[in-house]
Formats: sequence, C-alpha cells, structure tokens
Amino acid sequence: MDSNQFREKLLIKRPRYNKRYDLLIKKLANKGTTKSEYSQFGPIYEIFIYCFMIGLKSQRRIPLPERKLTADFLEIGKWKRESPIVDFLLSIVLTKSEELSFDWNSMEDMEDNDLSQCIDKIISFIEEYANGGFQLLEELYEKPEYAESHYIFMDIYRKVVEGELE
Amino acid sequence: MATIIKTISFNNFFNYYGEYDDTQYDFEEGTNIIVADNGGGKSKFFNAFLWLFYDEVLDSETKRRYGIKDFGLKIISDKAKKETPIGDTVSCGIRLEYETPRKRFRIIKSIKAKKLDESITDNNAWSLTIDEAEVDVTDLVLPKYKAVYDPDKKREIINDLIQPSLRQYSFFQGEEVDRIIDFSKKNSIKEAINTLTGMSDFDELVKTTHYINEKAIDTRDKHIKESENASIQTQKDLEEKKALRIEIEKLEKEYENVRIQFENAEKEIARIEQNYTNAQKRQKLDNKIKEERNKLKTARDNYHDYLDKINGKFFDGNFAWLALGFDKEKNDFRDRITQYKETRYETLTLRGIEENPNDHFTILPFDSPDSVTLDKMIDDKHCYVCNRSAPEGSDAHKYLLKLKNRNNTSKAKPKFRNDLVQFFDNLQLNASPFFKRTDQVKDSVMSTIQIEKDLKGRVIKLEKNVKSLVGSRQDIIITGNDDESKDSDIIKDYGVAIKQKQQSEDRYNRIKGELNNKLKTLEDLNSKISKEAPLSNSDKFESFARLTRDIEEATRRTRDRVFDQMLKRLESYANIHFKDLIKYNEQSGGILKFTKSPTGTIDFNYIDSNGNLVSGASTGFQRMKIFSVVMAIISANTSNYNYPLLADAPLSEFGTGFIKSFFEEAGKIFPQSIILVKELYDKDNAKTLLSKEGEALLKESAISTFYVNTQEDVEQIELVTSKKRLK
Repeated sequence: MDSNQFREKLLIKRPRYNKRYDLLIKKLANKGTTKSEYSQFGPIYEIFIYCFMIGLKSQRRIPLPERKLTADFLEIGKWKRESPIVDFLLSIVLTKSEELSFDWNSMEDMEDNDLSQCIDKIISFIEEYANGGFQLLEELYEKPEYAESHYIFMDIYRKVVEGELE
Repeated sequence: MATIIKTISFNNFFNYYGEYDDTQYDFEEGTNIIVADNGGGKSKFFNAFLWLFYDEVLDSETKRRYGIKDFGLKIISDKAKKETPIGDTVSCGIRLEYETPRKRFRIIKSIKAKKLDESITDNNAWSLTIDEAEVDVTDLVLPKYKAVYDPDKKREIINDLIQPSLRQYSFFQGEEVDRIIDFSKKNSIKEAINTLTGMSDFDELVKTTHYINEKAIDTRDKHIKESENASIQTQKDLEEKKALRIEIEKLEKEYENVRIQFENAEKEIARIEQNYTNAQKRQKLDNKIKEERNKLKTARDNYHDYLDKINGKFFDGNFAWLALGFDKEKNDFRDRITQYKETRYETLTLRGIEENPNDHFTILPFDSPDSVTLDKMIDDKHCYVCNRSAPEGSDAHKYLLKLKNRNNTSKAKPKFRNDLVQFFDNLQLNASPFFKRTDQVKDSVMSTIQIEKDLKGRVIKLEKNVKSLVGSRQDIIITGNDDESKDSDIIKDYGVAIKQKQQSEDRYNRIKGELNNKLKTLEDLNSKISKEAPLSNSDKFESFARLTRDIEEATRRTRDRVFDQMLKRLESYANIHFKDLIKYNEQSGGILKFTKSPTGTIDFNYIDSNGNLVSGASTGFQRMKIFSVVMAIISANTSNYNYPLLADAPLSEFGTGFIKSFFEEAGKIFPQSIILVKELYDKDNAKTLLSKEGEALLKESAISTFYVNTQEDVEQIELVTSKKRLK
C-alpha cells in the first residue's frame, strides 16, 4: 500500500459519536439558518474536532456505547476541505503511537489487514477522546461563568489545555 | 419678596415610582440643574407643574394638554399599577414646598385609582378619584405645618408661587421656549408693554378725551347752526361736516375690519412659516435618521457576521486557534518524523546488506582484473587469472559477467511492503499552518476581542445617534394633524397666505390713506367753521371745543410718549442681556431693534453694525434673542422679579457658546431657576454620567444644586426614574 492509498483508506472513515449528545450538538452547531445570540460552531465535525481536542488534553478517553446508541456523520476526507485541520488532527493523533500500540516504522511492513487495523485504532482513538470531550463540554457548558459569552469555547479550551480545570 | 421652591417630590407619577420621600428633589436659591436624557423624567417633571397650576398634563406624543380627569390613568406609574393587586388602590401625586421670607407652604395634588381588572392601560379596568388639593402652611420660626381649608386661600397660595399673568415669563417647556414671546404674533411685545405700563388706562383716557372733544364740537356746531347770524356758507359747511362724519364712521369700521384681516393674514403666514420651517427641519432630520439607520443596519450586520465567524477561527489555518497548547505535540511530530526516516534508512541499509553483502561493497577483491581486462576476458571467453576457458553460459563466464555488473545491481535497493514516507511528509507539510501558530493563538484571540469591541462600540454609538435624532424630531411640532399636512400643501398654503397678506396690506394702506385724508378734511372744516362762527354766541362753545381738543391731543401724545419710552427701555435692556448672553460665543452679534409697524404692532429685528437686517442666524442665536426680550420685560419692571424660572432648556439648540452665559444671565434675573437639560448627559461616564460640558458646569459656583436622573435598562413597564445628586 502506498501513501495515497493509505490516506484514502483513512479519509473515507466516518467517525461515530454517542447519540446522547445529539441535543448538545443541536444547541451548539448552527447550520447557518439564523443569526445566534452569541457564537456557535458550524457543521458537526467542528464540534467533534473541538471535543476531541479537549478530551485529549483532559485525558478523558471514554469508549463509545454499543453501536445502536451511536451515530456517524460526514467522512473525514470531507471535513473542511479547504483547511489543513484534518492533517493537523491526524498529526496530533499519530504522535500518540504508544497509546495507539503501533509505531510508524512497523507500518511499513504490515499486511493490508494489519494496516487497516491501524486505521481502525486511529479512528477509535479519535472517537473515544471526542466522547470524553463531549462529556466534559456538557458539564462545563451550562456553568454561569461561561454564560452568554461570545468566547465561551475559547474560554473552555484555554482552561482545558492550560490545565486550569479542577 | 421672592418665592423659592424648596422641594419637589412625586408619588408614582409617570416614571417617578415610589413614595414622596423616595423621589424628593431639594432645591436652593440660584441655579438648580437636573440632567435627564430623553425619557428620563424631564417632561414629566414639567407635567408636575402643569398639574399644580392648571390641573393639566402634556401628552408627549400628541403635544396636547389634557385635563387630569381625562388623562388620570396614564400619569400613574406603570410599575405601580402592575404591582397593585385587583381590588386594591394605588395613589399618585405631586408634592411641592416653597418658601417666602416668612412662611413655608406645602402643596399636594393627588389621585387614587382602584384596580378592577388586570389591564394597566384600559380605563375601564380602574376607578379613578381626584383628591382635593392639600395645602399646608407653617412659619419659619417654629415650623409646624397647619392645613389650609378655604378653597380660595388654597388657590391663592398656589398662584403665589408664580402669578398667572407672569407665568409666561417664568415657565416654559421645550418648543414653548419660542412661544413665551411669540414673535409671530406681533402684538406680543405690544401686549408686554401694555402690561408693564398700564397702557390700557391711557387708552381709556384717550378714548374719553376724544369722546368729550367730539361732544364739545357737536355742541358748538349745534349752537352755530341755531344761531341767527350763521352764514349760509357756515350752514353748508356744517352739513358737509355731518355728511363727512358719517363717511368717516363708515371708513373707520372698514379700516378696523381690514386691519384685522391684515393681522390675521400676518398670523396665518407666521403659523404656516413655523410649520414650514418645522417641516423642513423634520425632512432634514428624516433624511439624517434614514442615513443613520442604514449605517446602523450595516454596522449591526457587520457585528453579527463577525460574531458568527469567531468560532470558525479554531479550524481556519489563518488563525489556527485549535493549535493552542499543542507545542509539545508539534515538537513530538517533528522528532518522530525525523526518527522514522532515520530508522527507515537504517532498516533499508541493513536489509540491503543482508540480501547482497557483496553488492553492498563497491571495491573489487585484491588482485582482481580491471574492467578493461574483464571485458577482454568476457569477449575471449577465457579467464586469464586462473588461466582456464570460460565458454558462454558456463559458471565461469557468468561469474565474469557478474563481476563486471557489480555496481549496477548494488543500486537496486530492497523495498518495504508499504511506502508511507510521503503520507507522513504530507501530514507535516499540510499541518504546518497550525504548527507554526501554536504560540500566536493568544494574540489572535486578543485581537479578535478588540475588533469585536470596536464593532460593538460603533453599533452602540449609532444607536445613540438614531435615538437622539428621533428624540429631536419628536420635539419639532407641526400644529394640526401632521399626518395630513404634507410639505407640498404647506408650501402651497404659504404662497396663498403671502398673496392674501399683500392684498390685505394694499387695501389697508388705501383705506388708511383715505381715512387720513378725510380726517384732515374734517379738521380743516372744523377750523373753517370755527373761523366763520359769529363770535358773540359761540365763543364759550368754541373755546371749550378747542380746550377739549387740546386735552385729547395732550393725552394722546402722553400715551404715545409713555409707550415709546417703554419700548426704548425694553430695547435697551434687551440689548444688555443679549450682549451678556452672547459674550462667550465667538460669533459676534448685531443689535436688537424694536420698531412700530404700520398696524401698530411691534416689529422685532436683529440689525448688524452696518444697519443691515440679519436673518438666518443659528437657532442658538434665535433662542438668545428671545431670552433677551423676556429678560428685558422682567428687568424693565420697576420691582424685582420675585418668581422662579422653570425651564426645559434645549441646550443643543443653544450651542456650547451659549450654555454658560444662559445660566449666568438666568441667575441675574430670577432669584431661583430650575432648569432641565438633556444634552449634558453621558451614559459612558460612569462616575458622574455627565458630558465634559456638564462637568464644567458642575464646578461653577453659581450652580446651587445639580441632579442627574438615571434609568435602568429594563423593559418599559419596569422603567423607573432615579436620581443622583452631584451637588
């Protein structure tokens, strides 16, 4: 398998999320219908990426529940195509190879099945940290200190990445 | 004996929610200022005085006055009405205390409303009662209020605060400033002079002396006619005079009618002119409001668009907010990719050695033939090293060939199963906009906050502008139903009125000329008859006629002299005040000139130093002219003016140059002024809520008390006016 093939196999994946966060996603993801009182995210993948990042930084990796309680959305390759965000996301993920249980060099000799498993591990990694991030966001979102601020998501993000959350 | 207002307080009166003691304003002699923005209780404050003096209030929407009984529900605080349970009663009133040198008076006017239903606007949901005015009096030595019961005495005490005939000089609101002296009514100054000089007494005297003179002449003429010695010519003249007097009488009636018509035409022009001017002002403001509203809409759209894009900056490579806190991962990735490539290379190399150890080395074994010899041996099919044949296809020949091709085969490196170098390389390359911004995110956020703040500030500023313009527009009155009056109609009416005035004026002048001629003829005839009359009989009657004529003449001249003297005096005082009012203004003013018009009214003109009539001066100037005349009328009165000034001062019309001089001059004439202004208000100055002009005024020693009215940003029904005393 060459680089392009590997990348393609990775980018057609559709990560899943816990359906219990549907309401939160609906609240936060403005699909562009009306002007909000204060800022929201745009498409679902934005909030997904955001939750992955805060989940990762707060070390909250929570496996997804059984499949019927989850849903998927857009394939990774279509996330904000004009932006390098996906490459950044994958770069971050691949720095965690110990947790992923494979290293880059070993991938060079893997059979296709094994390589597909690596891809699955990458996706699970993303899904489970995003799941943790959703949980964290749900806890923080309604707190009065973040109420009605245009910068609620940056305020939360900063506190998480700088380890200021109790 | 000046009257000084000591306190004013309200009980659930419009936005003044609460008990009297909660809303009390304390005032002193001198200048007292209350700063209030639009809707901040300014006109409501004035309404308290309208209620006090006239049992009326002004509806700020229609600009019309209504009796308390017709308007009662609307004057009660919405918040108080809302809080009153059904079946309970809410009270609403005003309380004022004023002092003279010996006594203090307290006046309360109030109503009560019983709530029958939930609505706070439906008159049927409330049962109103108007309380009797409460008036109490105390002396200042041992203060203890005693009630006054006599209704006439109560009325007297209320009127003593400011005498009704003088209220027009003491008490003016908003656009009414221009109507204290309504210069459209040219009688205004004449009436003022009449009041000041008791001119009506003189007029009566002139009328009386004229009547006596006429009677004296009639008696003389009768005797001349009945005299046997009267000549035929004299008889003829007497008949002619009789006929002439009838004509004069008719002409005088016609003259009076035409004079009234002419005055009415002038009033009509003035009325339309004011409307026309106001219509122009409103049109100008409408255009400005439209322009500002468009700017506001754009600013709001820009602001909301900006807000909507804030969170996009997490994912946009130009801002890369997601990269915050990922420096470690950035370095990790860089190290890993380096390590990966190094390991890869080592692995490649080792694998190459394992597979073809000899290929790995590029140096030939010791004593190996050179490449030329090798070629020869291959061609000759013979090995000259071990001296044996090497036929084509034999192992020896193959070995020779292998030796020759050793460098080429060593370049064919062994492959990995999967080639992922480019995958990792591309990740690093594509992710670089995020990686290189990990330490720039905080600055980007601060910059975003600042831009957002600037955009929001612009929206707020434009909102304020629009609100102020709309407020100004509401202050411009067009009398009548201004929904129906269009500018084109006003202009048409104005043209018609001008024409009518011209026609009236022509007729007036013609009749006046005719009348004067006839009066002259009458006078000549009287003289002639007088000369012709037989002396013996008519001497005493002639003398008496002459005497009464002289008395009438003297009375008339005295009256005119008194009038002219007062006019000059007013003009002089007006100019003194005018000069003081404009002294801080950079624009130099002309002088004020009062002149009698042909119809006997007083024209009021503003002349520059070259004697040219100045028109089109700023609104501030116009207002100062009016104040000069008002102050002149008060100053020209021989006794001191003893009543307070209550003014709603549109300082924006005055301009900065006039504000200070206005307060100084008011202080000189009126023992106390209570002045409400809005233009000194600045919501953004959290400390004093005043603009810089307001803060400058606060420091003036001539200012006795200084209040700022405030309102919270709540829904209309909860809106209450609070006050902050700064001095």
